[in-house]
Amino acid sequence: MENMSFEESLEKLEEIVNKLENGDVPLDDAIDEFNKAMQLVKTCNDKLNSAEEAIAKIVQENGEVIEFNTND
Amino acid sequence: MEEKTFTVTEITSYIGRKLKLDPNLKNILIKGELSNFKTYPSGHSYFTLKDENSQIPGVMFKGNKDRFLKFEPQDGMKVIIKGKIEVYARDGKYQLYATRITEDGLGDLHIAFEQLKKKLKREGLFDDAHKKKIPTYPKRIGVVTASTGAAIRDIITTIKRRYPICEILVFPTLVQGDQAAPQIVRQIQKAQNYAIDTLIVGRGGGSIEDLWAFNEEIVAREIYACKIPVISAVGHEIDFTISDFVADKRAPTPTAAAELAVPSLGEVKYKFDNLKGKLTKSITDKIGENRMILNHISQKPVLKNPEEIYEIKGMHLDNLVNRLNFTSKNIITQNKAKLFRLENAPILKNPNEIINRKAERYNRNVDKLEVLNPLLTLKRGYSIAKSKDKVITSVKDVESGDELDIELDDGTINTKVI
Repeated sequence: MENMSFEESLEKLEEIVNKLENGDVPLDDAIDEFNKAMQLVKTCNDKLNSAEEAIAKIVQENGEVIEFNTND
Repeated sequence: MEEKTFTVTEITSYIGRKLKLDPNLKNILIKGELSNFKTYPSGHSYFTLKDENSQIPGVMFKGNKDRFLKFEPQDGMKVIIKGKIEVYARDGKYQLYATRITEDGLGDLHIAFEQLKKKLKREGLFDDAHKKKIPTYPKRIGVVTASTGAAIRDIITTIKRRYPICEILVFPTLVQGDQAAPQIVRQIQKAQNYAIDTLIVGRGGGSIEDLWAFNEEIVAREIYACKIPVISAVGHEIDFTISDFVADKRAPTPTAAAELAVPSLGEVKYKFDNLKGKLTKSITDKIGENRMILNHISQKPVLKNPEEIYEIKGMHLDNLVNRLNFTSKNIITQNKAKLFRLENAPILKNPNEIINRKAERYNRNVDKLEVLNPLLTLKRGYSIAKSKDKVITSVKDVESGDELDIELDDGTINTKVI
């Protein structure tokens, strides 16, 4: 679950919510699923919040990657 | 001999007729540079077409312009004009009457464009089945475009505004001129080594010649072969290039490409919060629902007053004991009555009666047997005919020559059928 992409995590989260909302899930299973979902919420949250400000970089002819300054 | 004198009108109309009769001047293509292009309130346009050494005045009437003129002609433009040359009598000059004006050089490009488009389409390079899905939440966007100019700025600004958690990697390239196409191809190849989720390939607006690199076959094929989903963004809304057809998604402008490449972080957060809310609600509901069921069950009388179970059982036992007592008493009484009846039966009082009755019945049966005994019948003179121990009851049972046994009361006669 740790290695899931943000997209996959969000999809999985959606799937669990739908299951809990619609399906006739036994309580024990529901709690398991809920815990799993909360773990996903945490992972997604971390990804959304902790990501640094987007950086634009330029790949130079020699393969060197340097910061790209849009004001050039 | 007196020389003939002409009026100006006569000689002008004579020249006019000469020109009109020349088939070469009737339908002619002339290339040159436009100057003094001017449209009058009537809607007709007047201009001069020239090259280094000569010039010719021209006119294009409103009807032809409305139908055939696809662009705004400007002075200095290289054009090819289709039309006829006739004399304009009033001014005593010949001029070009234009039916079509096209940009010079454009014709060839258009043909090349259409030919390549048809070829690649036939090869299936535009097929929807080949188009890759653009990732919804990319981590890294690649951009193949010029490192200067509005296009790259628009793309970076838009991505930073919408989805600042995404990284942008620029692969700079020339976007016009002869070196553009091979450079674009190289940068698309290079980009595939940089763990990129979506690649934007494009440039800002320009003339058809400026955008031409994106109509080159090598660029189209590289976009098709690219393993990363490609969004093309060439020029403005109205510009369509081969790259647009072959890319996984076409964006009308570089800004639009950035919008297609990344989601809006605000929307993602909203969706995410919404999911979180739904999740908490669904589990709370589930727990509530189960608590209700539990309450309901714990209110059941058996759990509330467990002694009731014994009380009910006790009652049931009492009931059974009562019934048992009653029934056993009953059985004894009934049997007593039966015994009494038997003891007092008349037969037991007078046993000889039984013997008398049996003797009487025996005699009656002996009489019956006498009547039925076949031997008695033989005594009266009847006989039984048998063939091979079988009693004969019909003439059909025997044939001539059969041996018969005739049984009489006192013996058997052996005989033969004649």
